Amino acid sequence: MADQIQGPAIVTGSRCRSCSTVSYPQHALCPVCGHDGFDPVPIAGAGNVLTYTDLYALSLAYAQRYLRLAIVQLDGGLRVTGQLLDPDPQMGKRVKTKIGVIRESEGGKVYGLQFVPVQTSVSDVDPG
Amino acid sequence: MRPVAILGAGMTKFGRSDSTLADLMSEASVAALRDATMGNRSVDAVVVANMGAARINRQTAIASALVDRLNLFPAAAETVENGPASGASAVKVGVQAIAAGMADIVLVTGVEKMRAVNNLEATDFVASLSHPEAEYVYGVTLPSLAGMFARLYMSRYGLTRRHLAMVSIKNHANAMRNPYAHIHQEITMEGILDAPEARVNNPPIAEPLHLYDCCPVSDGAASLVLASLDVVQHLDRPDSVVMIAGIGQATDTHAVHERSEPTELSAVRLAADQAFDRAGVGPGEIDVAELHDAFTVLEIAESEAAGFFPRGEGHVALEQGVTSLGGALPINPSGGLKGRGHPVGATGVAQLVELTWQLRGDAGARQVAGAGNGFACNFGGFGNNVVATVLRSERRDHG
Amino acid sequence: MTSSDALEALLRPPAMDMPPYPPKAITLASGETMVVRQVARDEVPILLEAIRPLLQMERDYYDIVSARLYGELLAYKRYRVLDEYCLAGLINGELAGVVNGRLVDAKVGMSYHTLTLRRGLRVGSHLFAAKMEYHIDILGQEEVLIVAESPIGFRRWMIEYPLDKKHEVQHELGGVPSWVLTVDTYRKAKPRLCAGRRPVPEELLEEARVIRVPEGETAVVQFYGKEEAADDGLQGGAE
Repeated sequence: MADQIQGPAIVTGSRCRSCSTVSYPQHALCPVCGHDGFDPVPIAGAGNVLTYTDLYALSLAYAQRYLRLAIVQLDGGLRVTGQLLDPDPQMGKRVKTKIGVIRESEGGKVYGLQFVPVQTSVSDVDPG
Repeated sequence: MRPVAILGAGMTKFGRSDSTLADLMSEASVAALRDATMGNRSVDAVVVANMGAARINRQTAIASALVDRLNLFPAAAETVENGPASGASAVKVGVQAIAAGMADIVLVTGVEKMRAVNNLEATDFVASLSHPEAEYVYGVTLPSLAGMFARLYMSRYGLTRRHLAMVSIKNHANAMRNPYAHIHQEITMEGILDAPEARVNNPPIAEPLHLYDCCPVSDGAASLVLASLDVVQHLDRPDSVVMIAGIGQATDTHAVHERSEPTELSAVRLAADQAFDRAGVGPGEIDVAELHDAFTVLEIAESEAAGFFPRGEGHVALEQGVTSLGGALPINPSGGLKGRGHPVGATGVAQLVELTWQLRGDAGARQVAGAGNGFACNFGGFGNNVVATVLRSERRDHG
Repeated sequence: MTSSDALEALLRPPAMDMPPYPPKAITLASGETMVVRQVARDEVPILLEAIRPLLQMERDYYDIVSARLYGELLAYKRYRVLDEYCLAGLINGELAGVVNGRLVDAKVGMSYHTLTLRRGLRVGSHLFAAKMEYHIDILGQEEVLIVAESPIGFRRWMIEYPLDKKHEVQHELGGVPSWVLTVDTYRKAKPRLCAGRRPVPEELLEEARVIRVPEGETAVVQFYGKEEAADDGLQGGAE
């Protein structure tokens, strides 16, 4: 069903309305203060690769030879799991999030978190 | 709480079987029942451990099916599902029934018939224990969680692929002495790591984990007959009896990335502490252990988290042969999950069957001499639900 | 030429010049060494004896692969398939696996079968790669047409090399759409998937000089009794 392709979704964490802690994935009660009211907040930004793997033991949903996955610690403390799009992965490397197709199912494309290396550009380099 | 003894133990050979799910659980159960001399007592309750029957085998309510197969009506019966820790959880449920006085004799049988589906399907089935939105949807399968954990653990504590290979070689060698084991194949460091051909012999599965770091997919069943000690004492039994000295259990976050400290298996530590506390012994008094080596790195990490070695030094003990069959603390004399196999629902029970045999002196060529206290760790999810058990051999009073 | 020579020539056109496969030695996970070498026509009867017990084994497509391979080996022996070859993997001289195929023309090869007798040590993977090595590195071909009986086993090669579709060409093994391994893909995959040491030491070659059948009982027992050594249900025993 071609037009089930959803537009880029955002992946959200839950910000507690009482203590403002952001948790991900979703819990019914805030892991810090126990409150049960949350606001969704987009998970996005830069962070460091905590660990990664190239996974060859894939299910039928994937026809590629391997899948590169990572756990990233975002600035601000939240950790997330996603697909790492980096030909030269390293623990501790700076990456940033993007939303991309993480899986194709009968229902269409599924979007989620991917990580790409943070590029340094000329303007970032201090000339002085 | 009434003390609980193990009256009988039995299992099928693990591996690739033409038997049905019902055949497997019956075979193990009958073996355990025959081993348990029960006089004219009967089984009050049946607890079955299983993870995948509903999905893989398209069967539900299998504990009731087992009661029927064994003509054990009107015994109470239920199935316990706790992922890969289903086995030890089912034993815990049986122990609780006896301890509470709601049953005197309980049959606990763990079973999995995984090879009813192909390996892709089996991998996907096991992956279903991961967090649906935060992990599974990304293509996460259990080996990927282990691979990411391994990379972090190795980086922090200096383990190498060679250490992981040592675990695999040790467990393959132990399994050679276990007629019930799935894998009967010796492997060498040259063949799986050092030779250039090793890249074909031992390809990556979830880097840095390779083929020989991952347990096989197996069919099989294992069974225990539990009884309250006062029942046992009225039966004609030998001079010693194996007791369930203590059981502990602990949970942790579902998504692995949400663990407070990603290299720490805190559920293992807490479950083990609780089991030791209830058993009134410490890790230093354990003579033999069955740990959950679904991935080689986990045997090392669990041996530390359970308190046998300081954090980060499990691989040193391995190097020194402490955990080999002839060492001071043999780990996985059965071959572990790597060598004995891993029918998911059966493993936790099979660990305790092995320990029972060890503590009775019935472990044949893999006997740990003079084993009096045993420890098992059954690792559910990816470490977010762990059941630890301490078994002890006790001398009986006569008359 | 006699009349029977003339008749024979109808069914046996001139064969291509096929350089022999240089034997190699492979250390397996068990520490044992497998010698991979070409099989001569007069050795076919020994192979047939080893394969015969598998003809009735339905599991893992052993029956159909054995049956087809049996016919192909007879055809090889009796010159009824043009430009066919056969390689065997031997452990202590005992047959561990067999692969075969033929040349369609100078540039294109057709892979036939891969039969593993000694399971759990990636013998099939090693022999399949040796077959591809023969077609491309030794015979200088540009592509090899491939299909397989086992869907799980085939999917693994499809993804692992990877293979390209050449669906306009029907494969001999059932007229189904072919897949192809090209020389470019092979070169990239070779470091990862093809292993072995040459030359083979003289004493190993001597041990592998006469092919021994695994004990009749053993081949069957081995199949039902000796399981995969690792989490590798993807390894089809017969492709």
